[in-house]
Amino acid sequence: MLQRRTPLMKVLMPILAVVVALWSAVPIAWMLITSFKPQTAIRTSDVVLLFAPTAENFSNLFFGGNKVGSFLLNSVLVTVLSTVIAVALGCMAGYGMAHWRSRHKPDVSFWIISTRMAPIAAVIVPLFVMFRTAGLVNTIPGLVIAHLSFNLPFAVWLMGAFFQQVPRSIEEAALVDGCGKFRGFWSVALPVTRPGIITTAVLCMVFSWNDYAFSSALGGPQTSTLPMAAGALVTQSGIDWGLLCALGVVVALPMLVAGLAVRRHLVTGLSLGAVTGE
Amino acid sequence: MTVATATPERTTRSGGRARKVREPHGFRSFEFAMMAPALLLLAVLSLIPFVMLIAMSFSRVRTLGGVRLQFTGLDNWVAVLGDASVWASWGRSLVYFGSIVALEMVLGFAFAVILHHLLRGRSIMLSVVLLPMFLAPVMVGLLGRFLLDSTIGLYAQLLQLVGIDTDLFARPGTALPTVIMIDVWQWTPLVALILLAGITSVPPSTLEAAAMDGAGFFRRLFEMVVPQMKPIILVALLVRSMDAIRYFDIITATTNGGPADATKIIPIRLYEMAFRFNNQIGRAAVLGITMLIFSIALANIFVRFFGDRETAKVDVAGGPH
Repeated sequence: MLQRRTPLMKVLMPILAVVVALWSAVPIAWMLITSFKPQTAIRTSDVVLLFAPTAENFSNLFFGGNKVGSFLLNSVLVTVLSTVIAVALGCMAGYGMAHWRSRHKPDVSFWIISTRMAPIAAVIVPLFVMFRTAGLVNTIPGLVIAHLSFNLPFAVWLMGAFFQQVPRSIEEAALVDGCGKFRGFWSVALPVTRPGIITTAVLCMVFSWNDYAFSSALGGPQTSTLPMAAGALVTQSGIDWGLLCALGVVVALPMLVAGLAVRRHLVTGLSLGAVTGE
Repeated sequence: MTVATATPERTTRSGGRARKVREPHGFRSFEFAMMAPALLLLAVLSLIPFVMLIAMSFSRVRTLGGVRLQFTGLDNWVAVLGDASVWASWGRSLVYFGSIVALEMVLGFAFAVILHHLLRGRSIMLSVVLLPMFLAPVMVGLLGRFLLDSTIGLYAQLLQLVGIDTDLFARPGTALPTVIMIDVWQWTPLVALILLAGITSVPPSTLEAAAMDGAGFFRRLFEMVVPQMKPIILVALLVRSMDAIRYFDIITATTNGGPADATKIIPIRLYEMAFRFNNQIGRAAVLGITMLIFSIALANIFVRFFGDRETAKVDVAGGPH
């Protein structure tokens, strides 16, 4: 391939690779370590690596003055609901999109993708006014709908790309066998694209779980999600970094696990289906 | 890893073979019926806000005690376009967008080349490198504050060793580069992931031939690999630049526009107008429209500038055709 094994390359490249890995890993590892540190080991300019690990930051997070438990519940609710709806409608629409024959198709697909790429700040103001009128501000259904505004076009577009990769012959064989069109979708195309569905679901989940802009503008005290909790911890005088790192771990861990679980399909998902890899 | 861009050749539409039975198509087909629920919801969530955005940009908007729009003509437009601080904000936004996209493309390409050269452990290394992408941007901003905290921050200590001994977020001259670097930290892995797929897709035979000719490492890289990766580079460029304009969580969590407006990019200013000074929602709408125009124009420029029209079309309308 690209490599021609000069001795220099043989030594240099692995070293550089370690540097690249450290670039990503050090801040996250430091957050993880800090979350188990006692306060005395955090509030010091020394780099403390040996300490008696404690769970006090985590217990303070959930049982202290902060109601992170309810934030967690809100996050789970909004994430699960918006993901399920986006993926369900996205599968149907993506399948339709992949097979639709119409001269309006380029316009419709451009409209879908532009909804996903539009600047959040531009969308949020009219959405806020709409939600205000409809009484959806500071409600869970409101947040679910708000998250659908980015997850639905994403799911439609990506599932369209995944369905397009299904060999035509498989589906045609099913039609010849006397399957109806919906059966062709349900029992042939859907099972074949299962990895695609899972990837789409995981990415929708990540986007929804990590959202701050929509939640902060359209949410409220009763619907605060975990990223909002992070914001709330900061406005107090002086930041409790131990608490914040513990929260960071709680927010990050499920997404890291889910994201790495679909790593094989990440390129496809995050390039919106334009690049298919591995 | 096998890679192919979604070119029309690849996504064969049953090769022009005529169906036995002529099926209905267009808006009265099974396919469109499958799309209808999603499109209907999407229309509510995107077309109505779009129309409202335009309406609000020509109105005074009151939200207290029911939403009311009072037509004021071009007032908001004149106020926003005549505001020097808004233009200054656009200038900073361009520096911000330009820097993060340029840095992420260059570093991401370097990361991809390095990872591509790993013979053993490439998969595990890539997984480690990708980790920052899954963090909430707002958490990443706060993590940046923690690491750069001038008294206890790990990275602040390292910077002190090389003589940088200051609160990077507090000074106008350093705040913008700092938030740029935090974004670069989080999103360079994504560029690396996409470009790695691109490098891997270049046929080894081309490179072997070049190696026989005695072409050096960098010559092969830039004369053989990069041209073949053009469509994929475009994808990375588009994805990152659209997201760079889209998200502003890191700035919200760190400087929130300060100090002395040094990091007040357009979305931050828009947020401030809409949610802090409630009487300026109309002006925020004007800014929103200019942002929309900017992002659409940018996407079009990249697509035109970067490739022949063939690949360009494929990538913008990349997925379903």
